Amino acid sequence: MKIETTHLKRCDLVALEGRFDSNTAPDLEKVLRDSMDEGVYQIVLDMESVEFFGSAAIRVLIMAYKECRARGRGDVRLAAVPDRIAQVLDLVGILPLIETFPDKTTAVGSY
Amino acid sequence: MRPYELCVESSLSHLAAIAEFVADGARQAGLSEEEVFAVQMAADEACTNSIEHAYGGQEGEVRICCWAEGNEYVVRITDFGRPFDPDSVPIPDTKAPLTERNIGGLGLFFMRELVDQVDFASDPIQGNQVTLRKRRHAEF
Repeated sequence: MKIETTHLKRCDLVALEGRFDSNTAPDLEKVLRDSMDEGVYQIVLDMESVEFFGSAAIRVLIMAYKECRARGRGDVRLAAVPDRIAQVLDLVGILPLIETFPDKTTAVGSY
Repeated sequence: MRPYELCVESSLSHLAAIAEFVADGARQAGLSEEEVFAVQMAADEACTNSIEHAYGGQEGEVRICCWAEGNEYVVRITDFGRPFDPDSVPIPDTKAPLTERNIGGLGLFFMRELVDQVDFASDPIQGNQVTLRKRRHAEF
């Protein structure tokens, strides 16, 4: 599992790689909290290399989305979501609500 | 396939190894990659429940047993912690706006959505057992 944040002009781009289960979701939460604590409420998650995104990671995603909306009128957007992960997010009704983009460039450009 | 079993200490750090173990068995049982992914995720959620809720940070053993039965791949997760009552878990509202979402109950929701059958049993000797059944759709 790897997480890398790049600070851009209008948002933070967070590239995710590998498995995000109950063991690794706290690391994701910490990284997103770091962005929000720095006053960044526009966040793009680059999901291209995500292999697994379980309920604990989804809880972190929902938490960050809610907080970005509440604290800074921003949100979290997703880029390059692999099909299987998209199906999982769709099962819990997240995909129609969180904006998704085919690649990170388009997602970053949407802010 | 022969039934096979993995026993691990109750620790979230074992989830990746459990996922590999469940996926290997599912491939041997002839499940498609999509089905492998689904059963792997359901098993991950069940094991997380055992580790986080049944043992609640205490030491303990989680057993994962996999076998094929007819056209089904079966994964049974056993722990000896606190019994689990699936009826006590709230059902997540998947239609609510995200800003109004309560974030509990997702693990159980995924288990039920991703496999064909989920059964819970608790017994003082046998422990708490979650049995996941995933049907193989591919023909050989």
